[in-house]
Amino acid sequence: MIDESAVRSVAAVYGIAWVATLAYVVILNAKLGRIERQLDELAGILEARSGDG
Amino acid sequence: MPHTARLDRATAATLVAASLMAAAVALIFFYVPSDVDQGYSQRIFYFHVPIALTTYTLFAWGALNAARYLWTGREDLDLKSYVPMHLGVIFGSLTLVTGSIWAHISWGTWWDWGSRELNTFLIIFLFYCAYFMLRFSVEPGARRSRYSAVYALLGVGLIPLSVLAVRIAQDALHPIVFRSNGVNMDGSMFLTFCVALAAMLSLAVSMYLVEMRGKRVDERLAQLRRLAQEAA
Repeated sequence: MIDESAVRSVAAVYGIAWVATLAYVVILNAKLGRIERQLDELAGILEARSGDG
Repeated sequence: MPHTARLDRATAATLVAASLMAAAVALIFFYVPSDVDQGYSQRIFYFHVPIALTTYTLFAWGALNAARYLWTGREDLDLKSYVPMHLGVIFGSLTLVTGSIWAHISWGTWWDWGSRELNTFLIIFLFYCAYFMLRFSVEPGARRSRYSAVYALLGVGLIPLSVLAVRIAQDALHPIVFRSNGVNMDGSMFLTFCVALAAMLSLAVSMYLVEMRGKRVDERLAQLRRLAQEAA
């Protein structure tokens, strides 16, 4: 017979590890979004410049 | 010239980490028997100890790159020292949280202030948390890199002290698994532990490679923006 509180503790530990990994992915995704916005801005500057030329 | 798709290092490391993690979870929940003394909760060991060992590895890795930076003055080594420190703090937080949960179920307390192992780990963790305060209080440049490298090196001496603390404190609650005369667990448990450790280390490597790549892209982008603004 497995102790229920032991199962809860094991689940908590593994759950926290997975949540931390997912949080890392979310942060990376946010960073990619920022890079994407900066690339758009850069493309805008270059397009404006080629339009002037 | 035709472009050939090549598996980059970060993707390869992530695939290895995912495979090892799946194998570790399968071994932990479907293969390894429960411990006679601690029962089902001992399964926390297969995640908690590899996370702790990965934390030590990351701090040591960061300190090694800091030493290389001070020796050679190569700018890229500053970033190669900072990223493992950053990841080490993430893994260190996980070590403290998973350890507290295990302590609660095994010892009936969330933290034991009498345990030298726990307290030296906490000191290392807090020491490297302060690394970021120092780093971000100095303007970017050679001075910041130098200060950060020296600080990173100062803390590395605490790592062997923390590992040895559990052996010095014979009366500690914290169990000793690795003794001078061998490993204090059966073959199936040791195999599971080794796979879990490999999984955690490869996860750290993949996170390191992904983060380094992100930092490099950031730097190049900033450089391009400067050039575009100058040209406009």
